This record gives sequence, structure tokens and C-alpha cells, in this order.
Amino acid sequence: MTMDGKQQGELPIISESDIVACRKVIRTLSTNAGFGITDVTRIVTAVSELARNIYVHAECGKMRWNIMHQPGKIGIELIFEDNGQGIADIEQAMQPGFSTVKSMGMGLPGVKRLMDEMRIDSIAGAGSTVTIKKWARAR
Amino acid sequence: MTYAASNYITVFDKWDDQKTFFCFTPEDAKRLSDFHPFAEKHVDEVVDGLYAHLLKFEEAQMFLDDAETLRRLKIAQRRYFLELTSGCYEEEYYENRIKVGVTHQRMGIPPRLYMGAYSYYLQLMIPLIYQYLGDDLEKANTTFSAMYKIINLDQELAMSAYIHAVEDVISKQTEEILEMSTPVIQVWEGVVATPIIGTLDSQRAQQFMEHLLEKIVESKSPIALIDITGVPQIDTATAQHLIDTINAVKLLGSKVIITGIRPAIAQTLVHLGINLQGIITKPSMSAGLKVALEMLAVGNTGFNKTN
Repeated sequence: MTMDGKQQGELPIISESDIVACRKVIRTLSTNAGFGITDVTRIVTAVSELARNIYVHAECGKMRWNIMHQPGKIGIELIFEDNGQGIADIEQAMQPGFSTVKSMGMGLPGVKRLMDEMRIDSIAGAGSTVTIKKWARAR
Repeated sequence: MTYAASNYITVFDKWDDQKTFFCFTPEDAKRLSDFHPFAEKHVDEVVDGLYAHLLKFEEAQMFLDDAETLRRLKIAQRRYFLELTSGCYEEEYYENRIKVGVTHQRMGIPPRLYMGAYSYYLQLMIPLIYQYLGDDLEKANTTFSAMYKIINLDQELAMSAYIHAVEDVISKQTEEILEMSTPVIQVWEGVVATPIIGTLDSQRAQQFMEHLLEKIVESKSPIALIDITGVPQIDTATAQHLIDTINAVKLLGSKVIITGIRPAIAQTLVHLGINLQGIITKPSMSAGLKVALEMLAVGNTGFNKTN
């Protein structure tokens, strides 16, 4: 359960300071959900990567979050949506070292390793949606 | 922050537009100036009434604590009141109103006191208008309407100035935080240390790198310790900033030791596939300092002291 019992919400990603806000909210949420410090760091790092991707590659976007309850486990689902150019070749984007903006190119493949589930939906010219999930045993 | 100024303050260029937007017409100005002689006759009564009311409240008393302050405020209030019906609402008027907001904010008077006082002001004024123009109800109504509009314009200016003043404080503080957020300390002859606290975003990373490089040259230090105990997470962008900084330090002929890598951070760095090979890393600042001193002792720093 989250602090105020809220199970879902969303945050805009327009400026660089929104990345900080996303990280802060998700750090609190995942800690309250019962994730350990290492998993919290993993989740927050993934949030940082994907939120920064939106800030760098698209004009604006948002992060939606969901706390998921299943028998014996609790999970967090994060959906990053933007209105950017879309990802031309998802397979290529998932290759370590591939970047269109001279960055490390480790972000997307890194996020996949940090999280339990990851899905990318992208339509050329109409934006991208990246969905990630992480599970923990229920307290 | 220009954002704050352009967003909150009605700049004087826009003052005429603002009057139009509030439907404040030259006829309104005329009605108010017609009322001026009567207002002048009753100004002391209104001002005394206002302060008698304010002094009933503890919160307001704090700002009116001595006789001298009260006397000065009453003079200012008197002028303020008479300006309302002066009939001239141009640059000087505009500037005086902005000043009122800024002064209130600076004195720490909360907006609710300002608004509450203004509300009482209006209560004292309405009977005066009808007392003066009671025979001509239409004229009384239009004068009241004009008074109401100019007061709304006044309040908008004062509130904007309030908000702008607060924004100004925030932006100054933000700059100060940025300035002090990356101290570089010489901890030993030949060793500088810098703790990174919080997030290394692009603006801070740039400033951090400049600051560190300057300090290394200035202190002729062959070794720099960068402590990341206070960094809650490292994503690829932050890692890139760190690696860029380390490479720049290398170009100066000095070495970097990264300290304060927590277990959770170590694991995420591995997951992200970030390669820190060739960089000395230590779990704590003290372990890093020990390594630095050993390196200095054996002269294994690659730093040419005659530089």
C-alpha cells in the first residue's frame, strides 16, 4: 500500500526538473510498496533513464504509474508515453551502444536488465510507449 | 528568472491593455476624480477607521507595534487613498501600486492581511459614495463601479508584485544552492576531494567539472577524490557526466578515485552495463584517501610536480 492509499497516478515530463520529480515520487511509492533498497534503486534508475529519454527525444510526455496487487506479490507498473518521432527500429534501439544523440546508448538495454518486464510500443511519427514492471513479494 | 517577471508582473507596456481588460474607461477615471473633493474631506475618517479595525487583530498588531510606525503608515495610507480618486492612473500610479506589493511582501505581511484590509477599506468607502451621491442613484452606482474596478486593478498589481518577489527569492536561492552544491576541498597536500550531493543534471555536471578542474590546477593536486555517497541513483546520463569529468581530469595529468559507491548503486551500474574499468573505486571516502596517500608516497601519480 502506498502512503495515502493511492494506487495510480501520472506526472508530466516536459522539463529536466520533471525527471527529478518522477524519480522522487517513484522512490517514495516503491519504498512504501515494500521494495528493498536495491530494487528501489533499480526502479528509480529505470525511471530516470526513460524520463530522460522523453525529455531528450520528445517535446513532452508523461509517466503513468500503477501499483499492482496479486496473490502473494505486489508490483509497480510504469508507463512512459511521449509524442516524439517514435523509435524507428526497436531492435536496434535495444542494442547496447546504439544512440541517435551521442549518448552512451546503454539506457534502454539497461532498463530491460533493471526491471522484470519491459515492452516498447512505437508508431513512427506518432510517439512511443514504454511499459516496465517490477515485482516484489507482498509484505 | 525572466520567466517569473514576464509571467506575473503586468509590465507597464501592458498597463493600458490591463485597464481595457478590466473595463476601466476614461469615464471611470472622470467619475473618480469628481468624487475626489469629497474623498479628501473624509480621508482621515477612513484611514483612522481602517487602522482601528486592524488593531483589533493580533496578527495585524505585529506590524503596527509602535506609534511611530503607525504614524508613518497612516500618512502613506492617506496618500494611497487620495491617489485612488486622483483621476490620473498612468505610470506613476502603476509604479506606486507595484511598490505597495513589494513592500508588503518584504515586511512579511501575508496577502490575506492585505486583502482583508482592502475589503474593510471598501466597506468604509461604499457608504461615503452613497452619502455623497445618494440623490443621483445612477451616478452613485457608476462611481461605485469605477471605484471597484480601480481597486481590482490595484490588487492585481500588488498580488503580481507579491508573487514576483517570492519567485525572485526562489530563483536567487536556486542559484545559491547550485553555487554551493559542489565544493572542492583540499584534504591533503596533493589531494582534493569533492562530495556530490543529490542529482548530477547537465547544468550541475558542467559546473561541477569546471570547478573541479580549476581546483586541481590551482592546488597542483595529482589526485582528486569524487565522493558519490550522497547520490541516490546513477543513470547512464549521470555516469556519462562522471566519465567525462574523469577523462578531463586525466588530461590534466591527475588521477580520480571514486568513493562512496553503495551496494545498490554498484548493482545498477552493472545492470546498466556501464564500464568503469581503469577507474579506481572505493566504497568509502576514508578508503579512497588511504589509497591516495599510498599513491603519493610511492610517487605513483603520473603527475609532474614541476607543471
